[in-house]
Amino acid sequence: MTAVQQAPPAGPPAGSAQAPPPARRDSAGALQRASGRPAGGAGRLLPRTVAARIRALTALSLVLLLVLLGIGWAAIVNAREGVRVIGHDAGPQVVATGDLYFQLSDMDAQLANALLIGTAAGGGRDQALQRYDDNRQKAGDALLKAAKLADETTENNTARDLLDALGRYERLAGQALLLDRQSPHASGPPSQQVVGLYRQATDLMKLDLLPKAYNLTLDNGTLVRHTYEDKRSSVLMGRTGILVAGLALLAALAVFQLYLTRRFRRLLNVPLALATLGTLVLTGAGTLMLSGQADHLRKAKEEGFDSILALSRTRAISNSANADETRFLLDPGRADAYEQVYLSKSQTVLYLKAGNLTQYNDAVQKGLSFEPGRAPFLGFLGTEANRPAESAEQRARLADGMNEALAAYQKVQANDRRMRDLVKGGQRDEAVTARGAAAADFTRYDRSLQDLARIHQKAFDEAVADGDAGTSGWYAVLPAAGVLIALLVLAGVRPRLAEYRWSK
Amino acid sequence: MVEVSARRTAAGVAAAAALLGSAAACGVADAADGSVVGKDRLVIGVNADQPGVGAREGDRYEGFDIDIAKEIAGRLGVAGPGVTFRRVYSATRERMLQSGEVDLVVASYSVTPERKVKVSFAGPYYVAHQDILVRAADAGKIRSIHDLKGRRLCKVRGSVSFPRVHDEQGIAALPVEEDGYSDCLTDLVGGDLDAVSTDDLILAGLAGEASGSGHRLRIVNAPFTDEPYGVGIRKGDVDGCEAVNKAITGMYQDGTAPRLLKRWFGDTGLKLTTTVPQFEGCV
Repeated sequence: MTAVQQAPPAGPPAGSAQAPPPARRDSAGALQRASGRPAGGAGRLLPRTVAARIRALTALSLVLLLVLLGIGWAAIVNAREGVRVIGHDAGPQVVATGDLYFQLSDMDAQLANALLIGTAAGGGRDQALQRYDDNRQKAGDALLKAAKLADETTENNTARDLLDALGRYERLAGQALLLDRQSPHASGPPSQQVVGLYRQATDLMKLDLLPKAYNLTLDNGTLVRHTYEDKRSSVLMGRTGILVAGLALLAALAVFQLYLTRRFRRLLNVPLALATLGTLVLTGAGTLMLSGQADHLRKAKEEGFDSILALSRTRAISNSANADETRFLLDPGRADAYEQVYLSKSQTVLYLKAGNLTQYNDAVQKGLSFEPGRAPFLGFLGTEANRPAESAEQRARLADGMNEALAAYQKVQANDRRMRDLVKGGQRDEAVTARGAAAADFTRYDRSLQDLARIHQKAFDEAVADGDAGTSGWYAVLPAAGVLIALLVLAGVRPRLAEYRWSK
Repeated sequence: MVEVSARRTAAGVAAAAALLGSAAACGVADAADGSVVGKDRLVIGVNADQPGVGAREGDRYEGFDIDIAKEIAGRLGVAGPGVTFRRVYSATRERMLQSGEVDLVVASYSVTPERKVKVSFAGPYYVAHQDILVRAADAGKIRSIHDLKGRRLCKVRGSVSFPRVHDEQGIAALPVEEDGYSDCLTDLVGGDLDAVSTDDLILAGLAGEASGSGHRLRIVNAPFTDEPYGVGIRKGDVDGCEAVNKAITGMYQDGTAPRLLKRWFGDTGLKLTTTVPQFEGCV
């Protein structure tokens, strides 16, 4: 008790003479008091003079401030990097390579069309070949992007093998087209030699090119997933770090404030109180901002990217199943295999239990109504139908889009049934003609998938824009806030230290 | 006042620290919780009754699946002695993966959407096809699945292969019931039936066994289904699944998988695919 009463010097002039003794006595007092306080053991290590203690508390506050700023800076770097990779770099590129599969399988589909249509003028052969060329060009672009993204040896090898196989495919396609032109025929299956060359080409496509293109997109998707997980967990760790460092700084400032209040019998050290308030605001705002960033990243990945990629795979497989219908007509010798493969691809897109195509079509036509989150079917569309969305509006939009796609899919499957029934009934020519009409329905289905992807693309773009905006300015805010808080601490301490300047 | 506020701050810091600690623990758990990546021992579920694919010879297993399993384990960093094989059955595969009794299943395990609800699949490492095995003398008469109409076809109890032909493809083959494919083989060689139809790799194994005892059989090479043989893995082990996919890709790129296919099925007349299959994807 006495020590406390003796301790505060009356003023600088008086204190100047008495300073050393009170300081010593104060240290004794501190020890006495320390024995009554929880942190007693550490008391021995504390600086002994008031001035030294003030300096130590100042230094502690500034160090904690630096830690807070450092953690905050690192977290912002991670958040920005995550948004950059997923939103502007690998994310969009992976989506672009996802279309590679589509373009390749469409090349093969158009080659089949051109051969089936025959050389008759106005039959659409030129359009088919034009589309073939467009696809080849786009596939080249996508392949280049995929190769750039590849960051591991196995991926690089896959990209190189793809390029090689594409060259071989083109050679076979060219031979088939040339041979077909030399033996003109009307609409319908071409000569056996041409079919033989087409078989080689389509086998190469099916067994070599398409699997590799698909696997390459999967590999690149892995890249995005890893970046996402790394960056998101870094952002969340950073948030925790800011919270801990902020609380530690707040605690230090509070202790400082209390020490000064007691030691100097002032009510409140205003600059120090402002520094405390500033720390509180900075910590709070930083924590909120990082929570927001983690959420933007999650949204971009889970409500955008994942679905966009899955829908691009759905489109790819649907399109190659569509080509299997053409092949079924083009190559009767392999009709059984093409029919079975059509079924298995259809079941990959939308799975309903069925042993053969007739049963599958019956199941599909029976109705595909679903409640979001509880679709009664599996496969890609089942996964998409069950994917959660945060807002009710988004859920409704997605449900509408999905219902449209499902209705279009039913139509596509009904057309398939009709085409096969015609072939089984011996009306192959009618079946070939019906393919033309069915093409429009398939296009509608494909467009509905693109519409669905567009809804996800919008969610993705918004999340990325939010992510970009969320951290903008923080590279300036952080140092400015740091300087301000540091200055406030020093301003609060300076007059108190000045009281001791005479003591040396 | 001091003590209260100090205690509060201390509590706050402690809570924050606990949060940090648990977040770190979560991160570690996500990466290592039961993933096959980073294990130094692996238990792999395999078949024991399919010659050439997965068969038990004395106290060791051998076949294409077994070699593939060893290669995958090796590429996951688990050398020979760390790999243990356990026999699995069609009915037990999912349960054993879920309970952790086996880490991986490499057992002519076709990827299907229904199975994917329960377990995850890496690969496939090969896409087999249902095909037909006949006596070489009959090869001219039976050239596609349609030629099985009115002929005696082996029907193994519990296998989906006969229903695939009879019910799904609607071909009126005559059933000859047996308990397993090795019994079918005996019947085929003995002339008690005309054809055996199941996955081509299994047929190739049977043909190989028959030729060992001097009987000439032939695979028709008229595939009519796709059977993607996947590597079963505990559901949710995405890192493990991706690592296995990478191992499979590497096996095709460096020629290991084509070499194994040739080693086990090269002399059987089966048309083999030696390029990497299209993967299912891990997420």
